[in-house]
Amino acid sequence: MRPSNEPFWWAMFGAGGMITALLLPVLIILTGFVVPAGGVEFSQLDTLFNNPLVRLIILGVAFLSFFHAAHRIRHTLKDLGLRSVATPLAVLCYAAALAGTIWAAMVVL
Amino acid sequence: MTTETMTVTLEVFRYHPDTDSEPSYQSYEVPYREEWVVLDALNWLKDEVDGTLSYRWSCRMGVCGSCGMMVNGYPRLTCNAFLREFMPGPIRVEPLRGFPVERDMVTVLDDFMEKLTDVKPYIIREEEQSLDDGEYLQSPSQLADFKQFSMCINCTLCYAACPVYEHEDEFLGPAVLALAQRYNLDSRDQGNEQRQQLIWADEGIWDCTFVGECSAVCPKDVDPAAAIQQAKVEATNNFFISLLPFTPPGMGR
Amino acid sequence: MPGPLPRAKSNAWWNRGWPYRVFLLRELSAVAVAVYIVLLLLLVSQVREGRGAFNDHLDLLENPLFWIIHAVILGFAQLHTSTWFRAVPKSMRVKLGGRAVPPEAMIFGMYALWVGASLVVLAAFLVEW
Repeated sequence: MRPSNEPFWWAMFGAGGMITALLLPVLIILTGFVVPAGGVEFSQLDTLFNNPLVRLIILGVAFLSFFHAAHRIRHTLKDLGLRSVATPLAVLCYAAALAGTIWAAMVVL
Repeated sequence: MTTETMTVTLEVFRYHPDTDSEPSYQSYEVPYREEWVVLDALNWLKDEVDGTLSYRWSCRMGVCGSCGMMVNGYPRLTCNAFLREFMPGPIRVEPLRGFPVERDMVTVLDDFMEKLTDVKPYIIREEEQSLDDGEYLQSPSQLADFKQFSMCINCTLCYAACPVYEHEDEFLGPAVLALAQRYNLDSRDQGNEQRQQLIWADEGIWDCTFVGECSAVCPKDVDPAAAIQQAKVEATNNFFISLLPFTPPGMGR
Repeated sequence: MPGPLPRAKSNAWWNRGWPYRVFLLRELSAVAVAVYIVLLLLLVSQVREGRGAFNDHLDLLENPLFWIIHAVILGFAQLHTSTWFRAVPKSMRVKLGGRAVPPEAMIFGMYALWVGASLVVLAAFLVEW
């Protein structure tokens, strides 16, 4: 049996899982309901999303969340019967996460 | 209605390797007793109705781990599954899922047994201590580190609950990984490295997607899912530490 | 002689009972996570474009469809949070003074952290700075 490179992907899955578990519920309430209802002024959001530290945090959260999701979706599809195409499936999932991260970098930088 | 006259229907999985190409289900009416478990009903059937019915059992008290079967679709020790839980029936009895079937409810355990011996589930010492030096001492706190994982009775209910084992022929599976972890966590054991190659492979802990049902069905509360998760954390720590150009103090393996 | 019956495999394992269905929903929360991060990045990008782009984006978000999408995502995110916190004591054993910290205490600790993190995020959005 060859050594596994799963620890690398699993570490990102774990870090992303933790950060999304902590932050997503409140973020979804804010950006999905409070902001559309007009509860947050544009100037507030403008200051927030242009702050260098906040931008860096958003990039970090996006990166870890995308790789968390990619890893989970990859293994779920495998469990649901895509075992024979496990390698291309993994490449596809992580490539999508990488593309998402590059887009996130373009958005915040 | 008195319990004397009550009966319950058992739908029993039947397969004979010499004559059947397909399994079938046979229905039996079995007397209902409040204190009877499914195993009692099967024993009554075998004694009174059909002596060809085949299944494993021994202790009738949840210790030997041989009477595991699917009862109404869930893995159970049949000595531990009261008829009254499933009333008014019918109760479907099948061999444990995920294994080849030898005959009726008798599963083929070769794959499980091979994987179990592969992970060396016994204490390994680099050098045996001489008898004159006495026992290997262990504190209650050190015992607590692995005690839960040592309660396994090899009943294989966790394998029947695991969709990964069902699909992945090479996967070591819950009980084997929990037992490997049990010895890895034992302060008297020095066999960590010998087991690592096997359990840290894709076919070891990494095929597990933490469905968690192995722990839910375990009659001994071994919690194999937790054992596997903890092994994943250790393997991951080790992976990143091995990438460092130096070995942090106290981290050497 | 047919011999032993080969082991049966079914891709419909996830429909064998509630524990398996909940497991699949838990895993599918990853899709909700990815979709939400895309929505968040869209908002960030429109805000950084300027007031006009943000107002156009608000018109879009006011569509009931987006309310429904966000409600579904919130449900999955909450499932992810609760299942993740419950998994923490399974993955980690923490010892304090030679005694293992009980799982309930670790889960409580995670929720305390969650409340703290949520308050910080709320303040960042709602308190002027």
